[in-house]
Amino acid sequence: MTANTHADEHGALHTSTGLSNNKLGMWLFLGSECLLFGGLISTYMLYRGRVGAGPRPSQVFDIPFTSVSSFVLLMSSLTMVLAVSAAHKGDDRNTYLWITVTALLGATFVGGQVYEFTAFYNEGMGFTTSLFSSSFYVLTGFHGVHVTVGIIMLMSIVGIMKRSKVPGSKAETVEMIGLYWHFVDIVWIIIFTLIYLIPA
Amino acid sequence: MAIIERPSTTQEVVAPATPSSSLGALKRPVATTGWKSWLFTVDHKKLGIMYSAAALFFFIVGGLEAVLIRLQLAAPNGKVLNADLYNQMFTMHATTMVFLFVMPMAAGLANYFIPLQIGARDVAFPRINAFSFWAFLFGGLFLNMSWFLGGAADGGWFMYAPNSGPIYSPSHGIDFWILGLQITGIASLAGAVNLITTVLNMRAPGMKLMRMPIFTWMQLVVQFLLLFAVPVITVALFLLSFQRNFDATFFDVAAGADPLLWQHLFWIFGHPEVYILILPSFGVISEVIPVFSRKPLFGYPFVVFSGAAIGFVGWGVWAHHMFASGLGPVSVAVFSIATMAIAVPTGVKVVNWTMTLWGGKLEFTAAMKFAVGLIVLFTIGGLSGVTHSVAPSDTQQTDTYYIVAHFHYVLFGGAIFGLFSGFYYWWPKVFGKMLNEKLGSWNFWMMVIGMNMTFGPMHILGLQGQPRRMYQWTEARAGEGFFNLGFWNAFASVGSLVLTTGVLLFLINIVITARNGKVAPLDPWNARSLEWMTTNPPKEHNFDSIPTVSHLDEFFHRKYQEDANGQMVQVKTAEQVMKELEDNADAHIHMPSPSYWPIVLAAGLPVITFGLIYSIPIGIVGGIIVLFGAYGWSIEPGTAPDDDFDPPTTTKDVVHVG
Amino acid sequence: MRRRIIGALAGVTTTLFLAGCATNAPQDTWQPKGPNAQKIDNLQKPVFAVAGIIGVIVTVAIIVAVIKFRDKGQPIPHQSHGNPALEITLTIIPALILTVVGVFTFRTVFDLAKTSDTEMIINVTGQQWWWEYDYPVQNEFGITQPIITSGQLVIPAGTKVLLRQTSRDVIHSYWIPALNGKRDAVPGRVHLNRIEADKPGIYAGQCTEFCGLSHANMRMEAVALSKEDFAKWVANQLKPYTPPAENTLAKEGETVFMNQCIRCHQVNGMKRADGTPVIAAPDENVVSGAAPNLSHLMTRNTFAGATFDLLNKSCREDVWNADSESFGAKYLTGVTEDCLNQSDLRGWLRNAPAMKPMYANPALLASTGGKYRGMPNLGLTESDIEKLVAYLLTLK
Repeated sequence: MTANTHADEHGALHTSTGLSNNKLGMWLFLGSECLLFGGLISTYMLYRGRVGAGPRPSQVFDIPFTSVSSFVLLMSSLTMVLAVSAAHKGDDRNTYLWITVTALLGATFVGGQVYEFTAFYNEGMGFTTSLFSSSFYVLTGFHGVHVTVGIIMLMSIVGIMKRSKVPGSKAETVEMIGLYWHFVDIVWIIIFTLIYLIPA
Repeated sequence: MAIIERPSTTQEVVAPATPSSSLGALKRPVATTGWKSWLFTVDHKKLGIMYSAAALFFFIVGGLEAVLIRLQLAAPNGKVLNADLYNQMFTMHATTMVFLFVMPMAAGLANYFIPLQIGARDVAFPRINAFSFWAFLFGGLFLNMSWFLGGAADGGWFMYAPNSGPIYSPSHGIDFWILGLQITGIASLAGAVNLITTVLNMRAPGMKLMRMPIFTWMQLVVQFLLLFAVPVITVALFLLSFQRNFDATFFDVAAGADPLLWQHLFWIFGHPEVYILILPSFGVISEVIPVFSRKPLFGYPFVVFSGAAIGFVGWGVWAHHMFASGLGPVSVAVFSIATMAIAVPTGVKVVNWTMTLWGGKLEFTAAMKFAVGLIVLFTIGGLSGVTHSVAPSDTQQTDTYYIVAHFHYVLFGGAIFGLFSGFYYWWPKVFGKMLNEKLGSWNFWMMVIGMNMTFGPMHILGLQGQPRRMYQWTEARAGEGFFNLGFWNAFASVGSLVLTTGVLLFLINIVITARNGKVAPLDPWNARSLEWMTTNPPKEHNFDSIPTVSHLDEFFHRKYQEDANGQMVQVKTAEQVMKELEDNADAHIHMPSPSYWPIVLAAGLPVITFGLIYSIPIGIVGGIIVLFGAYGWSIEPGTAPDDDFDPPTTTKDVVHVG
Repeated sequence: MRRRIIGALAGVTTTLFLAGCATNAPQDTWQPKGPNAQKIDNLQKPVFAVAGIIGVIVTVAIIVAVIKFRDKGQPIPHQSHGNPALEITLTIIPALILTVVGVFTFRTVFDLAKTSDTEMIINVTGQQWWWEYDYPVQNEFGITQPIITSGQLVIPAGTKVLLRQTSRDVIHSYWIPALNGKRDAVPGRVHLNRIEADKPGIYAGQCTEFCGLSHANMRMEAVALSKEDFAKWVANQLKPYTPPAENTLAKEGETVFMNQCIRCHQVNGMKRADGTPVIAAPDENVVSGAAPNLSHLMTRNTFAGATFDLLNKSCREDVWNADSESFGAKYLTGVTEDCLNQSDLRGWLRNAPAMKPMYANPALLASTGGKYRGMPNLGLTESDIEKLVAYLLTLK
């Protein structure tokens, strides 16, 4: 029988690389995302000193607060790992549980970001105040959108799984969302280090 | 649904009987003929045809823009177009040819032939494939809508800031341009993920990477370039968008911005883009030349590695577009040397094609003529490229017609000639009919003469000081003598009409062939690679049984073997090779099923972008369409469940694709 | 034999190419008239030659292959997969050629970036769609006060001039092919560009970075004068303003100028009847914030971004075709009434945007807060135009 078309008993396909199409595709997509964030980070690094009449980074950043929300996001990667492991064991109950916890932690992070943006805005740092503020909001905003998309994916997968409508392998779907989630998390660690921890 | 269009004795027709519903409301589409079978198809071959047809349409649009440009420049102080319209015209000519013709045409060929060349029955993600096509088409149409809504983009395809900012280009043209390119960018990105996964994961048994046909190899490099280049232009476009629509100041010098940021982002994308345009054609002629030389490609591994090297070094040369931008001597010198370095792997390719011809048994079909034409014309373009890799010379040549000449030799003489070679070579495979060879020959010669008449004189125009992007030129700067710049401008304009006639002959050839073209035999060219080991046109499942590959040029080695004297002799006919495959045919092949969701999802995108320009509520409607599409998509299995199909009448395994 | 064919082909191609060129194209990149352009030329000519030879070799090889190996019924060739030794050789040879080219390129790039030998500095500012030249005080050249001019860059011949280039709006590019390669003028940045002319004469150029609507109409000329003539030119530029005599047409023209043109165009030293200086305010009316300074307008040969001639055809040819000895005197004569290009100047005053596309339609200036890019139609009467022309002719 032909290697590239024949399904094994788990529903996964044999492939030339041994990696499933979905996973390989996700890895490639994340590779592309690296360049997207690379471009945004470069823009930020170029412009972070250009504050015009607006506030400087050190005047608005609340590092303890952002550290906490970063920690929350970091923890969500841990719960994501637990969700993937439960999914692989076929333990639906724990899969739902850990996915929900992951989504909640993600939502906490996004909530923190919304709070932070509001605080910055009230301190006189609007989107168009300076090149620093525009590039800051664009970079962190893009990241926030990525987290939000992740949360939507997590909530949808729980909904779809409960109605037993997942096409293909459940475990693999959860694992793929996990890959995306970890990537977004790693990107945040880089952003947090570059924006908040290294002084301009 | 499962599709077996030409059932052979060992197979049975399995059609989906009861389409399952995917969202409660929408029954899964099942049409196998008629317009619905195209609109909702996920078949890589139908999508490949639609990609190419749409690209051909945009080629005609871009070509008409080019003719208008040449008519305007035929005489001094041209009055055919005014300055504003001329600026839109050259911007859209370049944008159309790059993003809406060469890229999707190459994507069309990739879609159609990569699965066939690697012995797969479809791509890795058939629905994403359909989405890519529709997103490209809608993005392209969205871009061109601007002509009717207050004028197209007028900042040049490179769209340098701050000229592209809201003050200096107040019409909506650039907004359409930015958002249209974002949509086609999504299409390219999705396509890249899909095709890379296909090539890496779905090869037939024995098809090692170093046994893959060169076309597939070059496409693999191209898709990697797209994967990494598209997000960079995406960032640049977002920044420009935010400046134009939300008052950010990313390129506003008054706010302290550096306009060179745009140039760096644009060319970090833009230079790999050049190789994205040319490498597919290198792939095509690396297929065509061996077939019509009756020899394997000379130095296959060198061609593969030089392609990869071009792809890799292509990331380190972007600033050669900026030698006059004021980068400082260190950057200029380094990028100048890097640019010279990229000439070496490119030269390797030219050597290999020439050496493939050498000692062959050359048959000059139209496909072969275009391929050999490419070698010569591309060499001219490549060498003029070397002359401006020398940074100081480039400061004399950049932004003159010399550069216009250079990249038209590379892109017309290179990319487009390669695509035409592919059209003639693969037409019988796709449509089962032979394009008229005699007309093909006329087509080739008119295009060669036309292109040299049009772009050849531009070398002289540029070196004698005529800058690009000027809506008029003046006699005061044209020099004296009969052969002054006025003469060459007129000459180039006449050439563009000859070129147009050449392209027209191709369109006529399509019509004639469709009406009463010769039916293609199974193996019309005595070809070498896997895509010819199936019917013309291929069945929906491509191969009755997936061949096991043991050679580069597998098909050729099944047909020919060396005899005792070391002579190549035919041992089997193509029909015999086919028969072997049919004899082992898989029964019950369940192909990926058609789906509404790709086109629904793609249709939401231009609605969002339209809303961003004119009214946010419309954009929200678009967003809802996208979410609806994404939801329907995510709960729909790629292939309809087995109980949708009539139960198999034999006990043979059911083979799933995708 | 083969070598002779190649030689002949190379010869024929070169001859055809050279015969196919215009004579005296003003912006010819292959006719350097100064040491910087000469350096580029010395570098590029051999590169062109090598590229040409390689091109001919490849083309001939392909033609030979096409003729020699076309299908004449020969058996299917041996399926040879290549010859690594040959490949590697043919990779190394071009790499070596390019290494040599690279070394010379490296040297020339740094030579052309040198600024330590500068003898004179001129600030060059681009804006849509003209160039402004600002000569800072340099006593050794008699420039005791800043000089501001536009369109034509006047420089002393045989002097190493350093242009400090920037822009007030979008990116432009300064390019006088006979004197040096192009260099972009980027807003917010100052880029340096070496210019030097061997001999007196006039050298044409053109903005080469697409800069919007009238990019095609943004030209410039460099005028090189002998050192003595340059001193005369400087002295004339520093000459104080002489108002036209009372009760002349020109005097009425000055009044029209003060009512209309002065909104954007400065004429240094102009005073109102009450003795107050007349100051232009282009920043209130034009996006770039600048309009050409018209002091000593008639010492220039062109106007409106060097797009139109102030000299009529025969007078223009007299200046452009002058040999380097007589050029200076002819140029310093400036524009006399007999030589004035009446039709273009009047046409411009009548309706400037009709002659050169500009953003000057008040209805369409929402994005710029009503400011123009370029000169609007002032709606002058014919008698106003008559007076203005008479007045402008006095600006010498």
